[in-house]
Amino acid sequence: MTATAVVPPASMARSSVRAGVLLAATGGLVLLALLSLTLGSRDVAPFEALRVFTDPTPSADATVIREMRLPRTLIAIGVGAALAVSGAILQSLARNPLADAGVFGINAGAAAAVVVSAFVFGSMPVSGSVWFAFLGAGATTVAVYVIAAVGREGATPVKLALAGVCITALCGSVTSALVLADPDALEELRMWQVGALGGRYFPVLTQVAPFLVIGLVLSLCTGRILNLLSLGEDLARGLGVRTGAARAGLFALVAVLCGAATAACGPIVFVGLMVPHAARLITGPDYRWILAYSAVLGPALMLGADIIGRLVLPGGEIPVGVVIGVLGAPAFVLLVRYRNLVEL
Amino acid sequence: MRRPLFAATAAAALLLSGCSASDSDAGGDEVAWSYTSGDGETYTAAEIPTRIIAEASSAKALMEFGIEPIGIWASNPIEEDVSLQGVDFSGIEVLGEEWGKIDVAAAAELQPDLIVGDWWPVEEAYSGLEAGVEEESKKLAELAPVVGPAQSDSVVTLIEGYAELAETLGADPDQIAESRTAFDAAVADFQAATAEKPGLTALAVSPYDTSYAIAVPEHAPELLDFQQWGLNVIDPETPDPDFPYWETLSMENADKYQPDLLLFDDRWHPGNEDTLAAAPISSSITAFAAGQTTTWPGYWLHTYSDYASELTRLAGVIRSADENLVQE
Repeated sequence: MTATAVVPPASMARSSVRAGVLLAATGGLVLLALLSLTLGSRDVAPFEALRVFTDPTPSADATVIREMRLPRTLIAIGVGAALAVSGAILQSLARNPLADAGVFGINAGAAAAVVVSAFVFGSMPVSGSVWFAFLGAGATTVAVYVIAAVGREGATPVKLALAGVCITALCGSVTSALVLADPDALEELRMWQVGALGGRYFPVLTQVAPFLVIGLVLSLCTGRILNLLSLGEDLARGLGVRTGAARAGLFALVAVLCGAATAACGPIVFVGLMVPHAARLITGPDYRWILAYSAVLGPALMLGADIIGRLVLPGGEIPVGVVIGVLGAPAFVLLVRYRNLVEL
Repeated sequence: MRRPLFAATAAAALLLSGCSASDSDAGGDEVAWSYTSGDGETYTAAEIPTRIIAEASSAKALMEFGIEPIGIWASNPIEEDVSLQGVDFSGIEVLGEEWGKIDVAAAAELQPDLIVGDWWPVEEAYSGLEAGVEEESKKLAELAPVVGPAQSDSVVTLIEGYAELAETLGADPDQIAESRTAFDAAVADFQAATAEKPGLTALAVSPYDTSYAIAVPEHAPELLDFQQWGLNVIDPETPDPDFPYWETLSMENADKYQPDLLLFDDRWHPGNEDTLAAAPISSSITAFAAGQTTTWPGYWLHTYSDYASELTRLAGVIRSADENLVQE
């Protein structure tokens, strides 16, 4: 499913159409961000909600919007972009259309690290466990890559997937063992089993923002390399790409992005899996465009799902991870069906 | 394996007393023990029960009056449970430290002649035998009669029920009266404190990451007592339909009620106060921003001494509180 055709020299016309659609999508994202600031369990009139950004008078409404909904919106945007972009990179690297953070044991690693930290240090606030989630995500990504890289051929797609499955199983058993032994760890894990944006405020955002921003900026520059790698190992090498080094660098980027995303709001399924496919559907196989579209559509999906989760239950909310899971499964099936029809 | 043990227990009891609560044929004229339990039934025995297994809170209540059980079961790890502090359970066999799980085989080996737990009128069951408890654990009830005073709209009634039960089991009435006198003094002091601050309002809360639960006094006997004794504990307007013990607000709406004094559920304290502190909306809860917060004993009081020390502590907090913190 990854691109096999040589990238066609993009005509000016096609480029401008893609750019136009991307611009429209970005406009949609901005609209969703505004909705995310104005909609929620607390009733605030839409214009009143936007006025708090120009009017410094302190009020409960201003606190809710500036300090609760704003960081939440920004985290959703950053996490959505990070997951979608890293999903696109992983699918290319692993030559596997089903690759995402879950397949590589990254979520499992983050959860295991949080549970271990709760077991060793007792339960802690989100801003503390973020670091452990990050550590766990990073460590598993490195472990998967190193295990897969052993041997003559290096980190081939199949070896990456197998190493990911192994590490996921290992982390899963560590988590289960500790959770059975220690109620503190169970309490902590509950928050990390399903991704959620509620209860995350500026401290969490400022902790993960540097990683998200740097990771995203660098990722958006990898389009050319990904295009060349998608030509196949031999051709890419023939065109002057040092494939081993390129893969290692891309993997490091994925570790940073997924680690920060998982640390910020726990495991979120489907964004990394589905958004790159949707992007590819719109743009064709050019990774420069796939990455750019992923960086816009990922946040849009996160925000949309989060807003729905805030509104369906009166007085409470459904975690964004659950909403995306529920909406994502049928959407993904449709997408795959549609793509198959196109490819046939 | 359990059944033969139980049979042996029953046989031993018969041998010892010539009669047991469940056997009516062996000349049941002699009734040495009789108690009208929370379920409304009167239980009798030819000998005063001495081999008692009790739910840990009930055990604590009985022990305050000098009646020591031989086995206990708890809903949480005993060391961590705020309701089980200040009592020495050493030498008493622990049969469970997790809700719904009781080691009935070990309980049978203790050969109990009485089992004690709170009676829950709404659930029509004793503690440890409610719906949701593992079926294996419920077999505890087959070992001996289960009794205990009923949960009601006052903690005082519950403690009086334990005092009455303890007396039937041989507790010293003077000791009971002594605890009661100290407790009555604490109540009087609490009433005096609330009388000094007639305008003080309080709200009992339990904050979580994304929600803010407000206790409904109607279903919290200690909060009903506080109201009775002059503290204005706010009644939330819309209790959750499926679990009316609380009104759960989204954290964004945590400023809905503005009390002068914020009471945190002490079972999860200080974690729940830290959680609220991390939520920016807490700056809009006047009492929290002003630091006018304390804890309330959440649904666990079973003894005069615990209740008295909580009332004394709260009376101090009330006396030093600003009753005009929030202007209506």
